[in-house]
Amino acid sequence: MFLLLSSYWFYSQIDIKMTLLLVILTLVFWLLGRGVAYYLDKEDEKRAAIVTNVGVVIGIGALFYFKYLNFFAESVTSFASLFNIHLSWTALHLVVPVGLSFFTFKLMSYVLDIYHGKILPEKNAINFANYIAFFPTILSGPIDRPKPFLKQMNQTRLFNPDNFLIGFRRVLWGMFLKMCVADRLDIYVSAIFNNYEHHSTISIIFASLLYPLQMYADFGGYSEMAIGVALILGFQVAENFKRPFFSTDISEYWRRWHISLTSWLTDYIFLPLNIKFRRFGIQGTMLAIIINMLFVGLWHGANWTFFVFGLYHGSLFIPLLLSGHLNKKKEIKNRTNICSFFVLVTKIASTYFLVTIGQFIFRAPSLSDAYAIIFHSFNSWNGNLFYDMPTLINAIICLIVLFYVDIKEEWFTPKGANQLRWTKPYQVDLILCLEIICILLFGVFDNNQFIYFQF
Amino acid sequence: MERNEILKRVEEIFRDELEQENLVLTDDTTAEDVEGWDSLSHIQLVAAMEEAFGIEFKSREILSWDNVGDLIDCIQKKV
Repeated sequence: MFLLLSSYWFYSQIDIKMTLLLVILTLVFWLLGRGVAYYLDKEDEKRAAIVTNVGVVIGIGALFYFKYLNFFAESVTSFASLFNIHLSWTALHLVVPVGLSFFTFKLMSYVLDIYHGKILPEKNAINFANYIAFFPTILSGPIDRPKPFLKQMNQTRLFNPDNFLIGFRRVLWGMFLKMCVADRLDIYVSAIFNNYEHHSTISIIFASLLYPLQMYADFGGYSEMAIGVALILGFQVAENFKRPFFSTDISEYWRRWHISLTSWLTDYIFLPLNIKFRRFGIQGTMLAIIINMLFVGLWHGANWTFFVFGLYHGSLFIPLLLSGHLNKKKEIKNRTNICSFFVLVTKIASTYFLVTIGQFIFRAPSLSDAYAIIFHSFNSWNGNLFYDMPTLINAIICLIVLFYVDIKEEWFTPKGANQLRWTKPYQVDLILCLEIICILLFGVFDNNQFIYFQF
Repeated sequence: MERNEILKRVEEIFRDELEQENLVLTDDTTAEDVEGWDSLSHIQLVAAMEEAFGIEFKSREILSWDNVGDLIDCIQKKV
């Protein structure tokens, strides 16, 4: 109960009115879950499906109303005007509840998992409410599934010093990523993109190449902090990033980037669609992938840039699908051979380049802005690279630290290795001190918000 | 049809579709245990099993499977 009250207090500090919405939705879905289970027990699958669909409609309805209604209405109005049909729409001034995109997904997965027989309904309403409102993850994820989290809620949790230490380290690492890498890169990247008319092509390209790293450090940093705080409280929550820029193709990238979202959409959008379209063979799978990636894009917000972002990434899957390379288990294992290593690096670089294009669209305030930047880039080859030496030097030092840690974790750490691999206590103290010193020396302390809070 | 017989036939289908001659399935086998068994190949496997056994699975049934054992139980109910 204390955890729940803390979570609601935490949320109310950000948005007190929407705390009521959160509580109401939690109660509604808890009851819906019991309803689904009731009808399944009676083997009345039809009514169970109806109750489940009610839950899905409420979840999507809440998302649509707060996030997409204005966008949808304005798009319909614009489209109608192409045919000289004049509709009028007065935009509603709606404030999107913080974390809406995250907790509605948790709510929907609860009823869907009960319907699919993966979990039983949670009898304890407090435990369920804690799952939805869990304060480390409510604002920007990771999006936990009900089964693993509720299992932990129903267990006795004792203080574990190892988990506390690992959690604390992850919080510090997250702070380093956010304050030293992401916010430092943001100074340079924003300087370019917010004044692109005065910058050369080479500067725009350089800023574009830095932006995915900024996003990774920003959202990855938030996720590390959320996971770290959860661990300190004794909870294991879903991982969200797995060194995405080591990906050798786009399907691997989406298995390493925002993992909790992509796995949620894979399980609840892609898989059901792929099952429905299975009679159409590879074309059916292609369609399911495109639709899934459109959801990935539009989940981020109501803007045509996100639509194009999703479509772009969906289309990148098609060559992989047609060539039979969409298999997650086939990895390039041999890095000791020079040729193999060269191939590996080339694939990593190519994937990073493809991701950069997508992130460029993602970042643009609108499609017309994206087009304007591209148009300007084609006409500004004569200019020099923009130098902001203090910012760049700071950013490069911090990026070297990030690369060192990620390369070590990706290529030189056995899978499943204990996170507390050091054997001597002084090594723990040394690393913690170094992290704190780095944050103090290189961190940007001007209350920069996390990028993913807007979603 | 006997459960073991169904398991054997499913194993043949998996070996064929995933191109793994030595693959052995048990009731507890999950996608994590089998190389190449992911969300994409899963649908190919489903389609192949439907054709082999002359049955049709409902979406809800497919989504409820956690392991090969669940899959076999589902097939057994239908044949």
